Amino acid sequence: MTRDTSKRELRLTWYATVAFYQMYAVVFFLFTHIQPPGQPWYDPREVSQWFARHHGGLLFGLALIFALGGLSATSIGLITYSIRRMSVSRAFAYSYLILYSVSAVPGFMFICVALTAGAMRPDRDPKLQQWLYDLGFLSFAGTMGVFLIGSLVWMTAILLDTNGVFPKWFGYLNLCNALTEVVVAPSWIFQRGMFAWNGLISWWVDVVVFGLYTGVFILLLKRMIDRDGPLPAEAAA
Amino acid sequence: MRRTTGEQVILGALPLVAVIWIAAFFLFPGFTPPMSPRASAAQVAEFYRKHTAGVRYSMIVFNWFCVALIPVLMLIVERMRGMAHRTPVLRYCMIGVAGAAPIAFLTASVFWLLAAFRPDRAPELTQMYNDLAWITFTCGVPFLVAQSLFLAVAIFLDQQSEPVFARWVGHFNVVIALALLPAAFAGLTESGPFAWDGLVAFWGKNTAIAVWITVMALVLRRALPRDHAAATTAEAAA
Repeated sequence: MTRDTSKRELRLTWYATVAFYQMYAVVFFLFTHIQPPGQPWYDPREVSQWFARHHGGLLFGLALIFALGGLSATSIGLITYSIRRMSVSRAFAYSYLILYSVSAVPGFMFICVALTAGAMRPDRDPKLQQWLYDLGFLSFAGTMGVFLIGSLVWMTAILLDTNGVFPKWFGYLNLCNALTEVVVAPSWIFQRGMFAWNGLISWWVDVVVFGLYTGVFILLLKRMIDRDGPLPAEAAA
Repeated sequence: MRRTTGEQVILGALPLVAVIWIAAFFLFPGFTPPMSPRASAAQVAEFYRKHTAGVRYSMIVFNWFCVALIPVLMLIVERMRGMAHRTPVLRYCMIGVAGAAPIAFLTASVFWLLAAFRPDRAPELTQMYNDLAWITFTCGVPFLVAQSLFLAVAIFLDQQSEPVFARWVGHFNVVIALALLPAAFAGLTESGPFAWDGLVAFWGKNTAIAVWITVMALVLRRALPRDHAAATTAEAAA
């Protein structure tokens, strides 16, 4: 086996991560118009109109997520592996793996199910359409703890690591990502303004930080794979 | 004397669990035949009033046992340790989806149980819970699709003289992933083979899941370490 082919599983997993995030961006921004999000202050009639307006895009885009959303696990797998390469306890790697795996159902299944249910029956009672709309957007923006603690676990591992798997500044970028989960909390309370789920802080600032963070960790994972030397015997187990 | 290993206990329990799954499947009045997405709110409400007990008992059983698949998935993950891979990354990917697939099903059972909890609720509310249950149940395949794809890749990359699973198991998993995919698109139509009560999205998908569990159980049975001494050594080394 040549040196390059021996990294096939890492490279395939990495390409799947890139493909997943590209699909995610295209579906959420272009097909479904879930991002930027709908207005939280819509009355029931306006929510019904929102569902009717985006009917086809919602159903098709969410179907793509239903089909291929499981590929999100590739980034979880790679990041878990990155922590295994660090000079820290396996507890960090397994914590990250569990936290991000359980985030899948509340973090992206719920919005797909709720908004599909709304789009499927545009003639449903507008008050119920609003209930589905709230469930969709709030479960998506408001599933916070798993990402908050998950980012802090990864950050701590990076800062403690002496194997140089990631640069220390990236540890602090994890802190920024964790803070987005803190400042999004008021979207459970406010229906208007910068703290609402579509607001300047809860959406615009958060989406920029999350986009930057995701882009950076994808590139750093690529660098980790390129530099991946023989495995420490302990990490292979 | 040969003693039974823990892994054999897990795999040995599977036929029993499978009998429970099949019984619950046929006990749920909404599966035979599958409820139509075209039913009006009044018809859906009438269904829950008529079949309250059947929905409750079958979905309580599903809620208990759908997650019983997880230990079997972990047997596959353990076999993956023996694959000629450089890193454990594909095993982590498998673990990453192994919990979510049964939990998606568990969530569907919660919506069905909610619909049946107050059969005298306003029909539109019952219909909404029913929609949420069926969409979660039918479209909630992303983790199963990814699981089959990860396993297929893992098997194809397991290039050694005596691979853990034969290559055909990899091809088989690709076929299963493809058979599951159409169910994801069930929201797009209310009639025909791709609707949630359709030939492809209901019967095709659920048959694919049943076939996958059966075939993987048989493949696992051959791949488990037979000898207790070897198994304990392997367990202790890992």
